[in-house]
Amino acid sequence: MSQSIKSSRISVIVAVFNQEAYLPELHGQLVQTFSEHIDDYELIYVDDGSKDNSWQVISELPAQDVIVKRVKLRTSFGESAVLDAGIKAAEGEQILYFTCRVRSNPKDLLKLLGRLDEGNDVVMGLREPRRDSKLNQFVSRLFNSMTNRMTHVGLNDINSGVMALHRGVLEHVPFYGSLNAFIPVLAHRQGYKVVEEPIEQLPGQFEQSLYPKNYIKRLLDFLSVIFISKYSKKPLHFLGFMGAIFTLIGAIINIYLFIYRILGVGPIAGRPMLLLGVLMVIIGIQLISIGLLGEMIIYTHANEIEDYNIEEIIE
Amino acid sequence: MSESVITKDKNPYLSVVVPFYNEEENAERLWNIIKDVLDGTGKTFEVIFVDDGSSDDTRNILRRLAKENKELRVILFRANFGQSAAMAAGFKATRGEIVVAMDGDLQNDPRDIPVLLKRLDDGFDVVSGWRKNRKDKLIMRKIPSKIANRIICSVTNVKLHDTGCSLKAFRGDMLRSISLYGELHRFIPALLRMEGANINEIPVRHHPRQYGQSKYNITRTFRVIMDLTTIRMLMKHLENPVRFFAGFAWLCFWSGFAVLLFGTYHLLFRQVDIIHLNIPITLIVLFWATAFQFLCYGLVGKLVVNTGSRKKFEYKEKVQ
Repeated sequence: MSQSIKSSRISVIVAVFNQEAYLPELHGQLVQTFSEHIDDYELIYVDDGSKDNSWQVISELPAQDVIVKRVKLRTSFGESAVLDAGIKAAEGEQILYFTCRVRSNPKDLLKLLGRLDEGNDVVMGLREPRRDSKLNQFVSRLFNSMTNRMTHVGLNDINSGVMALHRGVLEHVPFYGSLNAFIPVLAHRQGYKVVEEPIEQLPGQFEQSLYPKNYIKRLLDFLSVIFISKYSKKPLHFLGFMGAIFTLIGAIINIYLFIYRILGVGPIAGRPMLLLGVLMVIIGIQLISIGLLGEMIIYTHANEIEDYNIEEIIE
Repeated sequence: MSESVITKDKNPYLSVVVPFYNEEENAERLWNIIKDVLDGTGKTFEVIFVDDGSSDDTRNILRRLAKENKELRVILFRANFGQSAAMAAGFKATRGEIVVAMDGDLQNDPRDIPVLLKRLDDGFDVVSGWRKNRKDKLIMRKIPSKIANRIICSVTNVKLHDTGCSLKAFRGDMLRSISLYGELHRFIPALLRMEGANINEIPVRHHPRQYGQSKYNITRTFRVIMDLTTIRMLMKHLENPVRFFAGFAWLCFWSGFAVLLFGTYHLLFRQVDIIHLNIPITLIVLFWATAFQFLCYGLVGKLVVNTGSRKKFEYKEKVQ
């Protein structure tokens, strides 16, 4: 990172996507609230390739007595890219990130920063009460309970899109693609203190529900997070296990058919089960092979691997 | 001349690395014994204690010890990342010509360190401890350990009586050239053998556990088997992965061929209609497609190995 980091500064990163109407109001609220309570802060608006006039509005936002940075992405890259671009522009040690669509009360954002000062590493916003669609809320609840069960992170609104964190956390947490939704989970795995704080959603227009394909994407993201955080250095532990199960089932089927044939109970050539057995064995061996290939990749590229996170070195 | 004095000052002769996980009763005792023993050898040394996210008082004890003693450095992990990670972090921090690793539970005896160093001087790169007189429960610890040792030795081809003993001494530069991740700490001798190490062992003392809980559990068997498979593959086929995968490809190819012969025989001599041979035909397709895939894995493997940033340790004889 080229610019110097100012330890006292707070960088507020605002993700903007098609919010031309809401922006001036939001900017006014933010400046009013933050100027009152924080000495040194900056506002960073990152436009994720909005289709409407958002960028025009952002460029015209007044910036008296406050540092405003404006970043425009060439097209829509998603929230991970927005966060990344925001961090690159940010100079503060403490980062407050939120997306416009949540419409949180700026006073509650201050509470998040307060919790950060208490010694927590990541503070997530917990939307309460939620004002988006019922279906959205239901899916979100399902997703959160599933994630909690797998990761024991103990948060109720992982994908709220509002969080405050220390810059250092992100250096140890990979959040490419759409994995930004899992920053708290990954940070928790690294041993950072992750807590949540309720935020109020101001009334207003909310986006309609997600499309089904978004749910599938989210599920895939979830799987990759589990894989990244648990098995990324040991692909064979996972793929080998799957492969062993497939091979075992296939072998049992084939042995059964073999005995069946040897005892002369009947011909097996006409039975599709033979195909199933062979297929299972082959898939099993392939899974193991891919696991071994993965191990090969890790081993030959292992110089940079740091499988741990050091909190402190005392000489 | 003055420069060499400075580096000599900076880099101690010996580094001792000890990973800790919830060993509040043992940490300070162990440090006192290590310090006594090493002061007696007259060599320069440093000790690195790595705390793997303990939840008891170990961290505070280590913090205090590190502040009181200049030879001691302490690395505190943010969470529990496992023994391999703790050892990797410790090894990375070492500066010694020789590195000794041991457990933090006082079952290894630091008084054996000079014995290991002496054997290392005989021209070995790795000297492993051998708990000839092991003080552990027979059924829960000793027998599984014996079996595991036999399997690991025969698979990795590193002949040791007690590869699971944590007390080991290494040539520093060689040890720092390998990467430990996942759960590979169990296979350090094998990993070093891949770098060309000369490995030996020597009987060491072993004490029953006096304080704290043992962290042993038997559920890791499957993961150990997987890691062994990995090590075996790396040892034998890292230079040429194409051959490794070509073995599978060959197998699939001939399986397909056998089915082809079977089908042809039935078609030509038994006058079976081709409609009734759909299963053999599908099997041929399946086997040959798979054979092709394995060949591709081999090529990808070759690519991976060739583009890897990892360099083999350049083995140079130690200057005595």
